[in-house]
Amino acid sequence: MNPIQQPVNLSRRHWLKLGSCGFGSLALAGLTASQSLAGPQSPRIPQFAPKAKRMIFLFMNGGPSQHDMFDYKPQLYKDGGKEGKKKKKLLAPMRDFAQHGKSGLWISELLPHIAKQADRLCVINSMQTDSSAHPLAIPLLHTGSFQFVRPSLGSWVLYGLGSSNGNLPGYVTVKPTRTFGGPSNYGNAFLPSAYQATRIGWEGRPVKDAKIKNLSGSMPNVSNGVLDFTQSMNRELLQRSGGNPDVKGVIDSLNLSSNMQEAVPQVIETAKESQETLDLYGIGGKRTDDFGRQCLMARQLVESGVRFVEVASSGWDHHSSIDTGLPRRCEEIDQPIAALLTDLERRGLLDETLVFWGGEFGRQPESQLLAGQSSPGRDHNAAGYTVFMAGGGVRGGLAYGKTDELGYEAVENKVHLHDLHATMLHLLGLDHEALTYRYGGRDFRLTDVHGKVVHDIIS
Amino acid sequence: MLKEEGKAPSDLRLFGVSPQEPVVRCRRDTIRRGRKLIMSSCLMLFVVTTSRAEEAKSASSNWAFQPPQATVVPVVGKSDWPQSLIDSFILSKLEKVGLTPVGDAGRATLVRRLYFDLVGLPPTPDQVRAFVDDAAPNAVPKLVDQLLASPRFGERWGRHWLDVVRFAESSGKEFNFSYPHAWPYRDYVIDALNADKQYDQFIREQVAGDLLPAAPDESAKDKEDRLVATSLLSFGTKRHNSGGMAYRMEIVDDQIDVTTRAFLAITVSCAKCHDHKFDPIPTKDYYSMAGIFLSTEALYGTIKQKYSNNPTDLLPLGFKGAELHAAAETYEKKIDAVKKTRDEKKAELTKAEEAKKPPPTKEIAKAEVAAPEAKSLPPTEVEVPENTEKSEETPEAVIARLKAEIVPLEAAVSELEKNRPPRPPYAMSARDRAEPADTNIAIRGDLGQPGELAPRGFLSAIPIPRVPALDPKQSGRLQLAHWLASRDNPLPARVMVNRVWHHLFGRGLVESVDNFGAIGTPPSHPELLDTLAVEFMNEGWSIKQTIRKIVLSRTYQLSCATDERNEKIDPENRLLWRSLPRRLPVEAIRDAILVVSGQLEVEPPVGSTVTGLGDQLVRGVDTEKLQPPSNHRSVYLPVIRDYAPEMFDCFDFPSSSLVSGKRAVTEVPSQALFLRNSKFVAEQASHAAKRLLADSAANDDAGRIDLAIRWVFSRAATAEEQEGALALLALTRNTEEEMGSRDERAWSTLFLSLFSTAEFRYLVDIEK
Repeated sequence: MNPIQQPVNLSRRHWLKLGSCGFGSLALAGLTASQSLAGPQSPRIPQFAPKAKRMIFLFMNGGPSQHDMFDYKPQLYKDGGKEGKKKKKLLAPMRDFAQHGKSGLWISELLPHIAKQADRLCVINSMQTDSSAHPLAIPLLHTGSFQFVRPSLGSWVLYGLGSSNGNLPGYVTVKPTRTFGGPSNYGNAFLPSAYQATRIGWEGRPVKDAKIKNLSGSMPNVSNGVLDFTQSMNRELLQRSGGNPDVKGVIDSLNLSSNMQEAVPQVIETAKESQETLDLYGIGGKRTDDFGRQCLMARQLVESGVRFVEVASSGWDHHSSIDTGLPRRCEEIDQPIAALLTDLERRGLLDETLVFWGGEFGRQPESQLLAGQSSPGRDHNAAGYTVFMAGGGVRGGLAYGKTDELGYEAVENKVHLHDLHATMLHLLGLDHEALTYRYGGRDFRLTDVHGKVVHDIIS
Repeated sequence: MLKEEGKAPSDLRLFGVSPQEPVVRCRRDTIRRGRKLIMSSCLMLFVVTTSRAEEAKSASSNWAFQPPQATVVPVVGKSDWPQSLIDSFILSKLEKVGLTPVGDAGRATLVRRLYFDLVGLPPTPDQVRAFVDDAAPNAVPKLVDQLLASPRFGERWGRHWLDVVRFAESSGKEFNFSYPHAWPYRDYVIDALNADKQYDQFIREQVAGDLLPAAPDESAKDKEDRLVATSLLSFGTKRHNSGGMAYRMEIVDDQIDVTTRAFLAITVSCAKCHDHKFDPIPTKDYYSMAGIFLSTEALYGTIKQKYSNNPTDLLPLGFKGAELHAAAETYEKKIDAVKKTRDEKKAELTKAEEAKKPPPTKEIAKAEVAAPEAKSLPPTEVEVPENTEKSEETPEAVIARLKAEIVPLEAAVSELEKNRPPRPPYAMSARDRAEPADTNIAIRGDLGQPGELAPRGFLSAIPIPRVPALDPKQSGRLQLAHWLASRDNPLPARVMVNRVWHHLFGRGLVESVDNFGAIGTPPSHPELLDTLAVEFMNEGWSIKQTIRKIVLSRTYQLSCATDERNEKIDPENRLLWRSLPRRLPVEAIRDAILVVSGQLEVEPPVGSTVTGLGDQLVRGVDTEKLQPPSNHRSVYLPVIRDYAPEMFDCFDFPSSSLVSGKRAVTEVPSQALFLRNSKFVAEQASHAAKRLLADSAANDDAGRIDLAIRWVFSRAATAEEQEGALALLALTRNTEEEMGSRDERAWSTLFLSLFSTAEFRYLVDIEK
């Protein structure tokens, strides 16, 4: 339907043909930052003019409480302590909200740094998703499906756009969770394995110690000779096996590993940053160090041409003790995220970098008191919650959509998760209905049969 | 959110078994149910509006809840092709859609495939030659029987089961305490597979081994095995810092999840908060099972320490286990008694020394009274009689006496601590609680909202005759075990046969191996699955016989050749017209490297290195101590939740917190980097080089290259490989300055190169 959709409608077989012509040219001559790969990760023309060229996905694992952060509900302050319609006591927001920036966006006192970026934020208060259970909602957010293993958003983006730096992985995930889908949240599923994310670190361990392991070996002098011989055997096997896609995957991953060996250490190097930058991100701060490092790494990676970076913060599932737990989480992410936006902006990257912030769902206006817990929290809410985007062609200073007066569910300009996915792809120059991949006789897409682009939030 | 339905290509439906059909069907379900489509084991609020009766009715008609029926073997056109009934079922479907099976695998390909699939190790060049040269018509069955009889078989197939039951040696979750006594279960599983323990018995032992009656000829070891088997109920993930009912329910939830998913491939834990959305499992059934497990005590050990509040007993192992355990406990009490005396004397000493100090000035005295510590000082009245008694002693003398008394006590403690009697090894286990009881439904999973009482029992959707009634004085686990493993239960045999099939073909007849419920994938060959399941039960629930039957089929022995015509009709090979190249699991990749390097320690280790760590938070332990270097088979490496060995992380080892009957297969740069640059692979390449240079079977470069390729790929080197290898050797020899190690380094690089190839880690056709 679209004349330039050709790069994305290639079958796996087609890729192999393309790939097998490309092997020779994969000889990996110089490793300049602009070098591209003549493989599945090679940069491709988007389907139409993109607003954003790359994306940073800030995942708040557990479901952050919109009532205490972005979705200002004056009535909820008044009704706190009264019984709500779900028969539990309403829980008043824990902090005051104020209007910020020229736009007058309402943001809670829990996020003083992000509040200063108000005019850059496109806050969607009317999000809805299909499940209020972590094990389903997390894969849903990442892959558009919880029933089946499907390619992750980042894999689709990489498949659609390719990488713009052949020496780096096109898709990186930092500190992903091992549970609730684990690796399938950054997996390629039926897309060629080249579209899978490269992982740095794990949830629960400091990112400071995390690295892409084994970047150098004990015999650097002959490393290329070893690789050449391995790849010649792999190419022979590829032929012998009738173009087996797994063998192709091995070949691609070896090539990429070789490029990464040289390029990665230079890219994610904290020491090369100025003290001012480190301070900006809160690196060295008691609460902000870890997430600050993650955000800095995200900037370094996208700056070097990585197409899609996901950065995760965990522990947002505040069923109890939300009064102590949530401020702590907010403190961890507030300064680093504000720094990320500032830093992208001053480097001229924000315009073309789509930054997303959000969890797998939000929380209820009513309180919840779990057995054995003394302090209340809020339960999950899939019917109304908040996410925000910034940069990359979204309208800053916008609060889009509304929930009811207590924030039980979205009532105006509802944005379903599939619509969000469609919009993200659109901003990246990809038509969610045309970005398809034929697998087992059917064309699959991220949004399945759903999704409407939310044009109102696009600048 | 109701959306227009996507159009599925119409040709799909012609197949009847197309991979896409379930996708399309389930999506319709999704759309129909719209927003209500929510299921999970988590606490959530959720209102069911659809008629439950209607949902359950349609769900219980799901194929998986019908008893399996053996079917007449279909008649096929190409009647000389099938070698077994499996082949007739497969060929019949192929013929229906116009597919033709490709040719048989070559002998060398087959021997490599059988070795890796059955014992998880590569064949040696001699073993390859022996098989390839064996012209006897029974050469294949002979080899298969030999491999099935090898103790290495249980090490490969036991690991598959350990994935399913999320076996691990630490508690996972936020705090992650070590479980030093989980390993006996690992050995139990390996032994059970090697002994070909009847699968129904294997199920019963893991659920209620402690309650099963002793067999007439039961040995002490058999009895111990039954008790160790119930560790299944104890090594799940736990938040040791929590307590009370919430803690117990968390364990129960995990026990329900593992027993229903591992044995039945259905997710009962979804019914914790609401009636199951797809399968006929009402919430009440969940709490009926919960009553059984609440009446059960998981014995996982641990000690009381920060963040760990719920230690339990353990099972002492061995002939003299109980005796040694009792002696050790008595001895500990003795130490405690001496320590107590010592501590009392020390307290007295402190007091005496305090008393000797000059009296505080008024201001300080006031401050001290005001200070909170002051309250904890013992009232002076108590001290009076003691003081009167020893009134003649000067304070200095008291201090001197106490000091003198403490010295020998300290010595006694340290002496006693040095000479602790040996403790027996321990295992996890489970037992009934003293007062079994039913429990109430927790409305929407909220323990604070008790609903009606749910009498202990099983799933109402699977009524089974002849299961003995529950004894109110027992937990009901024994009856649950019989219900789970009953011949009349439609699921366990199918589920197990399908797991075996999955491991031998890379894909189950039911692709969703852990979910046979309504949102699982329907079987590609339902009649074959049922026939195999019925035969499995008829033949004494023998896993080895099932494996034997499958690997002796012509379908298993097909080559990996492609076929353009077939590709068009069935590109995913759903109908099995060829063998799919399969990636080896990480254990086999690592073990094969150790075989090539000659470093594999084939004899199993005793116990686990986790035992030596004792009870502690694993995140505080150095990685080198958590995963010390080892040359044992991979199945024996410590399985510490979230701290798997690096190589395991790279190569898709599943999360040991979750039931995983199926592993992901990915190809990512981190794997390439591991194989090219890790210390482990470099060391093994160097060992392999030394071994090669010492092998008298080859004495020149060409001979050595050929031998190296035989070790790694089970085949001879090609002319191109000879040429490429020689070039690589020359490159290294030219680069290496140190004459002494030059040759060894050169051959190391060759092995490094071979270990990184796709052929090393994929089961492919090796004939050229």
